[in-house]
Amino acid sequence: MDALENLLLGFAVALTPINLFWCFVGVVLGTVVGVLPGLGPAATIAMLLPLTLKMDPATAIIALAGIFYGARYGGSTTSILLNIPGESSSVVTCLDGYQMARQGRAGAALGISAIASFVAGTVGVLGLMLIAPPLARFALRFAPPEYFALMVLGLAMVVFLAGDSMVKALLAMLVGLWLATIGTDLFTAESRFTFGQVKLLGGVDFIAATVGIFAIGEVLVNLESRGGAEIFKLAKGLRNLLPTLQDLKDCRFAFLNGSVIGFLVGALPGAGATVASFLSYGIEKAVSRHPEKFGAGAIEGVAAPEGANNADAGGALVPLLTLGIPGGNTTAILLGGLILWGYKPGPLLIQEHPQLFWGLVASMYIGNVLLLVLNLPLVPLFAQILRLPYYVLYPLILGISIVGVYSVNTSLFDVWMMGLFGLLGYFMRKLDFPTAALILGMVLGDGLERALRQSLMMSQGDITILATRPISGVLLFMAVAILCLPTIRKVRSWRAEAVEREG
Amino acid sequence: MKNKAILLPITVATIMAVSLDLAWSQAFKPGKQIETVVHTGPGGGSDLLARAIAEMLQKEKLVSQRLQVVNKSGGGSAVAMSYLAGKKGETHTIGFFTGVWITNPLTAAEAAVTIKDLTPVVRLVLEPAVIAVKADSPYKNVKDFIDAAKKTPKQLSQSGGSVTSRDNLMRLLIQKATGAQWNFISFPSGGERLSNLLGGHVQIMVIEPQEAGEQIRAGNLRVIAALGEKRLASLPNVPTLKEQGIDVPLIPQARGVMAPPGVPREVVQYWEGVFDRFEKTATWRRYLEQNQFEDGYLKGPGLSKFFDDLTVQMRDVLKEAGAKVVR
Repeated sequence: MDALENLLLGFAVALTPINLFWCFVGVVLGTVVGVLPGLGPAATIAMLLPLTLKMDPATAIIALAGIFYGARYGGSTTSILLNIPGESSSVVTCLDGYQMARQGRAGAALGISAIASFVAGTVGVLGLMLIAPPLARFALRFAPPEYFALMVLGLAMVVFLAGDSMVKALLAMLVGLWLATIGTDLFTAESRFTFGQVKLLGGVDFIAATVGIFAIGEVLVNLESRGGAEIFKLAKGLRNLLPTLQDLKDCRFAFLNGSVIGFLVGALPGAGATVASFLSYGIEKAVSRHPEKFGAGAIEGVAAPEGANNADAGGALVPLLTLGIPGGNTTAILLGGLILWGYKPGPLLIQEHPQLFWGLVASMYIGNVLLLVLNLPLVPLFAQILRLPYYVLYPLILGISIVGVYSVNTSLFDVWMMGLFGLLGYFMRKLDFPTAALILGMVLGDGLERALRQSLMMSQGDITILATRPISGVLLFMAVAILCLPTIRKVRSWRAEAVEREG
Repeated sequence: MKNKAILLPITVATIMAVSLDLAWSQAFKPGKQIETVVHTGPGGGSDLLARAIAEMLQKEKLVSQRLQVVNKSGGGSAVAMSYLAGKKGETHTIGFFTGVWITNPLTAAEAAVTIKDLTPVVRLVLEPAVIAVKADSPYKNVKDFIDAAKKTPKQLSQSGGSVTSRDNLMRLLIQKATGAQWNFISFPSGGERLSNLLGGHVQIMVIEPQEAGEQIRAGNLRVIAALGEKRLASLPNVPTLKEQGIDVPLIPQARGVMAPPGVPREVVQYWEGVFDRFEKTATWRRYLEQNQFEDGYLKGPGLSKFFDDLTVQMRDVLKEAGAKVVR
């Protein structure tokens, strides 16, 4: 078998002491970067890239890729403990992760997130190893109409983010979609809703908005409601801080779901990990036998998105390494790196430099094991933060939020935006609007609008282009089916009631 | 008559002052790290170039202080430019410009700082471009494509960046010269532009030779024209637009270094000296070759004229394009 032989070659590269060492450095750095909100893997890799010029190229890409996928492990930590999304792909993790922490299950949430990351991360590497070239060719079939359908499918997930009121969820989503339109219009270069503010030309910063809505909003609500009572319970004893066997069993499907969705969406150059995490969360809730627990601390609600954003890392490397096409920010920098190290990234890269590709693949298997070994013992340690009394914890959350948001663009304006969104988050909680629906709109709004307008340009304004192509047709059909789900459920419960009344 | 008598001592004094000034200027050396402003986030074109140059300057020991890259992204280039303008007279700040620094203030009313408000230092790079089609496409040259576009107006498509990008402006110029019409579809990332071409969803694309090179070698793309005055060294068989009978003004994509407004003359001279030497190093030559950039070295009055001419040209082309030109 070819792959096996090549993999052995890869391990021969990855297991040299120097590569092993830099793989370790990479994943540790990645974890740290992931834990710290604001500072992301893209910025870190860009900063370190010039330093790798003197390294062997295989070593360099092993180290930098380690930062890339390592950051996906760390991203969940502050989401779960403090309701501060560490990375944009960990926003969904806040929904159930933070609720679990409030119920004294912070350790279980952190643990399952590490395990899901490991499983999905490994599946992602497997996929990269086995089906990268055909998958990359398939991904090329995604044109604007297909992306439009994918974004609509994502928006349909709003059904699963709604609390009691579907209307409120839809309203929140529409506000999110509107927020996504702020900034410079890509197609006409005109400014929209910027109110003359230069800083708004680039749009509302996503991290500032989510940290504001989740972390600041939550702090404001708690400040009001607490009477010195403890917010968090924390299990005694280290053993109780890790997920139980039952937890693992509950997450069986979540592991699979996160792995597959994350990897596939990751391979599409126009989607990204945040979209993948929302999709896998929605799917998880759709198939769940107890959907009512989602949003109130369902462990699958942590496992699925955390898995998805790790498998996405493997997926994102597919178009980069097989075609030389970067899908996102971080992979674009890795592409720049490959050029600096003297490679010509493109369709012939794997064929002509097998030791680079297979060395990277093998190092990712090792890196994922390292990350699991590294992250699991950190769980009880991180969980201790919840023992802090609220008068220490809240200032801490505020401090981390401000520093994190400021560091993204070194912009004080973003910090003010965060404050504004904090107020928005507070009122949404008070009035029982689902904040996640707003974030969903914000995540997908830009891509949705773009794909729609690109599609209509392709077809000269003929709207049927959106539904007549096979892939987009199927995706749109799925979206409609999901949107009908609540109605079907309602009809069923009416029927059940009617039967009861009669009987 | 009296005036002349006074004039002489003044002239002497001025000359002395100037030479003193010069003496001091030769002594100018940065005393702390140099803040280097780029308008893209980490990984953007300017960001990668700035970081690579920072590293190379240090390697060649041409600067005594570190260049600290600061990302001021947002508003096209507006945030970075207004940040730089706010550093009036600051001797330890520089910025990396590109063509957006000219087009963005022309189209965005909020972007009040123009390139004229800043101090030009050097132009370093000219990025060449080519027109590519999919390898199995029926268009063997630009004429084939133009003919097809004339036969079915607005049915064919080109993928590219924003409407103010060079991709689109070149399309408008060629459309005007030939009377053909096709669509322009904007994609924010280069990866999406290329994957839509490879997937056959659009028919042509303006692409940098470095990005196209491997796709050509792998048999995925075919290049049908070079967008430059002369053929590219790396693609000697690909004729220019002019050779194919399409005589349109070419829009250069330039990158280089700016300083804040009102910096002392000697600071500009210091950087000119640094880049004079840097431009000749083997390290820089290799970098240009790896990225298939053209050497665009230019400084002094030539650079100011380049900015003036380009601004005028851009304003015309943008107006032609139907974009709202605000200044």
